[in-house]
Amino acid sequence: MVIPIMLGVVIIVFSLSFLAPGDPVSTALGEGYTQEQYDAQAAYMGLDKSYIEQLVSYLVNLVTKFDLGKSYFSIIPIETELAARFPVSAMLGLFGIALTVLIGIPLGIFSAIKQYSVLDYGLTAIAMIMAAIPGFVLSILCVVLFGVQLRWLPLVGLDTPKHWILPVATSAFPGIAGMMRMTRTTMLEVIRQDYISTARSKGLKENVIIVKHALKNCLIPLVTIIGGSVAMVLSGSIIVENIFSIRGIGTYMYSGISSSDYPVVMAGVLVISFVVCIVNLLVDILYAFIDPRIKTIYGTRMTKRKKPAVLPGAASEVV
Amino acid sequence: MHGHLVKERKELDLRALENMAVKKTLWQDVLARFLKNKSGIAGFVIVVIMILLILFAPLLTRFDYDAQSFPDRFLYPSSLHPFGTDNFGRDLFTRMLYGGRISFMIAIIATFISAVIGTIFGSAAGYFGGVVDTIISRFLDIMMAIPGLLLAIAISAVLGPGPINTAFALSIGGIAMSARIIRATVMAIKTNEYIEAAKATGSRNFRIIRKHILPNTIAPLIVNSTMSIGGSIMGIAGLSFIGLGVKPPTPEWGSILNVGRDYIRDFWPMTVFPALFIMLTIFGFNLLGDALRDALDPRLKD
Amino acid sequence: MNLLEIKGLTIHYAMRANTVHAVNNVSLVIEPGQTLGLVGETGAGKTTTARGIMRLIQTPPGKIVSGEILFEGVDLLKISSAEMRSIRGKSISMIFQDPMSALNPILTVGEQIAEVIHLHEKCSKREAEERSREMLEMVGIRPERAGEYPHQFSGGMKQRVVIAIALACSPKLLIADEPTTALDVTIQAQVLDMMRELKDKLNTSMLLITHDLGVVAETCDAVAIMYAGEIVEYGSLERLFHNPKHPYTLGLFGSIPSLDKDTDRLNPIRGLMPDPSALPKGCKFRERCDYACDECRKEEQSLREIEPGHTVRCMRVAGGVLNG
Repeated sequence: MVIPIMLGVVIIVFSLSFLAPGDPVSTALGEGYTQEQYDAQAAYMGLDKSYIEQLVSYLVNLVTKFDLGKSYFSIIPIETELAARFPVSAMLGLFGIALTVLIGIPLGIFSAIKQYSVLDYGLTAIAMIMAAIPGFVLSILCVVLFGVQLRWLPLVGLDTPKHWILPVATSAFPGIAGMMRMTRTTMLEVIRQDYISTARSKGLKENVIIVKHALKNCLIPLVTIIGGSVAMVLSGSIIVENIFSIRGIGTYMYSGISSSDYPVVMAGVLVISFVVCIVNLLVDILYAFIDPRIKTIYGTRMTKRKKPAVLPGAASEVV
Repeated sequence: MHGHLVKERKELDLRALENMAVKKTLWQDVLARFLKNKSGIAGFVIVVIMILLILFAPLLTRFDYDAQSFPDRFLYPSSLHPFGTDNFGRDLFTRMLYGGRISFMIAIIATFISAVIGTIFGSAAGYFGGVVDTIISRFLDIMMAIPGLLLAIAISAVLGPGPINTAFALSIGGIAMSARIIRATVMAIKTNEYIEAAKATGSRNFRIIRKHILPNTIAPLIVNSTMSIGGSIMGIAGLSFIGLGVKPPTPEWGSILNVGRDYIRDFWPMTVFPALFIMLTIFGFNLLGDALRDALDPRLKD
Repeated sequence: MNLLEIKGLTIHYAMRANTVHAVNNVSLVIEPGQTLGLVGETGAGKTTTARGIMRLIQTPPGKIVSGEILFEGVDLLKISSAEMRSIRGKSISMIFQDPMSALNPILTVGEQIAEVIHLHEKCSKREAEERSREMLEMVGIRPERAGEYPHQFSGGMKQRVVIAIALACSPKLLIADEPTTALDVTIQAQVLDMMRELKDKLNTSMLLITHDLGVVAETCDAVAIMYAGEIVEYGSLERLFHNPKHPYTLGLFGSIPSLDKDTDRLNPIRGLMPDPSALPKGCKFRERCDYACDECRKEEQSLREIEPGHTVRCMRVAGGVLNG
């Protein structure tokens, strides 16, 4: 399922860059060139062929050589640039998501188990406000407050741990509200279930009930939204990295955008979309580990079980 | 024969009247539920104030959003310039109002496009099922795999900046979402008996979709669109902020913010006011959308 | 001594605009080994009463306003929540209505039974697992199935697992909230038989909540009829079934299809139960009652004894109008 989707993504992204206005060859050559130079450059960029041929060769190069195309302006291959920059963006993203999870989920749980309390109303209101603050607006405001006015934190680069605070916080921020609301909603849904009442009527302690019985049942929607926040954090990196001058994929794409270097932009979109696809795949696999109902579906399909899961064994056994 | 027809017509009219009565009370219920929701009303008020501000912009300010005045650069808020002036000496309040026009216009167009196209795809997939559904759904899967902001960036990078291009770029990402919602709703309604009855009486597919199915998708569509307008305003500002979207000198909140960023160390009004307007508008639409969802579908409420 | 004695239990739910009077001044008694049936329509406050005994009312919005719940002489409403937890599952356990959702979908049935044993019996995890298998066997499920998840069982089997959890620590009181309502009719009887059998074996008392008078007739020793948060008639099974007095009880009997009598149609009770957030003054049933008079409107009705061990909340009965 992932492969065809990725293929579709490649086709869409490639077609977009094919539709780009302007002549990339003359853009790349700059002012003053001969027809021979032009043809040579066109051939070098592979732009002298038809759409289908270009698409096929793009796909082949991508699959066999991880070749993401050529920048209009730089001779450094795009994939080399991206590979060099990926770790920083990935680290930033991971920290960001970790922070989102660490803040969003506990707050959502508190909000749900204290439903109707002042805490719940307060957190819900805060989440509503947070959801209205775009990442870039927050980054700017943080820069003004902590960097310019208070001078507590450095604003550029990632040299020391202190440098990481603002970029990580601002890339985590937009996801926190969503994570909190989602946790609260699913948690409320779950604690209303009869099996939570059963757990309570067993005499279990409230924290055991929340962690062992309720939280585990919330995991599927939570894993889904954590997967979704990967997409959000990575696409937000264009803005966050740019504001804090971090040399990651985001700034690379930003430079591509500002110089109309489409292959760079497209390659960035492609790589991030791939990461998102793979994350979605991992999320699907995780489901099976979390939920035995899904595991059974896979289990019966892959290995032949000794007896059918539900019927008729159950039926013969009285009731 | 003729009398029979007249009688039937009358019965139909009666039934239509009944339907109207039912519909009326339904919407009255929705309104009653909405009016009970304080945060929803707050959202509504915020949105209405924003719309009034941008609609009556020419009456609210004496300045021209393009009028530059070199000596008046970087003025702090005063009674003459309530929000101060920008790096070209233009009145910031005026630029905020006109910038809002651009943002709202783009957001509404983008939401409208994605709602219409999403409805077409979604209802076709949900109603016909089978191969049609498979093809459309796979296509939507692919669209969903590209993060919305990135897709918008890619499209506007290709199309270049400008209000119409931005609206188009943002609408593409929204299609998949609205199509999914419509598809799910249609599939849920399709199994209802009155659809079966309509089919049995030989109504044509298109008529069934238009008469019986689409009206039921209005509620989820309204909720999704309200949320999506807020999201689009965020998207436009984001695109303008990275140099896509709307370019200066056209006033737009995100691009004003982006320019203001260069003067962040010495002059705060150029960042703070656009930031406030963006946040307040999105906040209003989110509150409104939440309240509409609760009012239109009480089952979803926690 | 009575095992359980509820005195004047009143439970309200404070909603945004109004207060729902779910349970009003309910008093009940269960003797050791006895089964009390609590009968009424949906929304009468049966489940709230049961949850109140377990102190499982969600607060807010729910609140136990007043009353005493004496279990073996100790008021459950006065003990600490830690003490209450040591009673739940150990001395009093509860079975919920819907077996489909009463089991945690992501834990094996063995784990879910062992959990309560491990918690209360101070035994090792292994012993608890061992005993959970014994419990499964007791409720008629092959012990090998302990490692399976709830979705691998049918509805009736799930309810057996729920019963195994409830009885795992041999409680003194079992509260069963419509334990068979969600099951197929054929399976209902099997589950009920099994419950009765196990209850006798373990000498457990039971509070059986149901709206099915047939189930009551087969299972209970005493019956309390509940209407709009109040007990309207209360007595031993025999007395109440042979001599039902309250117009509502009569109505309940009237709406059971009878094969003996040659009736063409059922006699359902007309109307609906009053809104529990706006209960009428006087008799709560009077608007649906064929015998209502002006007096019913004015006076709060009290439970009056009409024969030893049989009380009715109706002035017309006490006044002799309905006697005969």
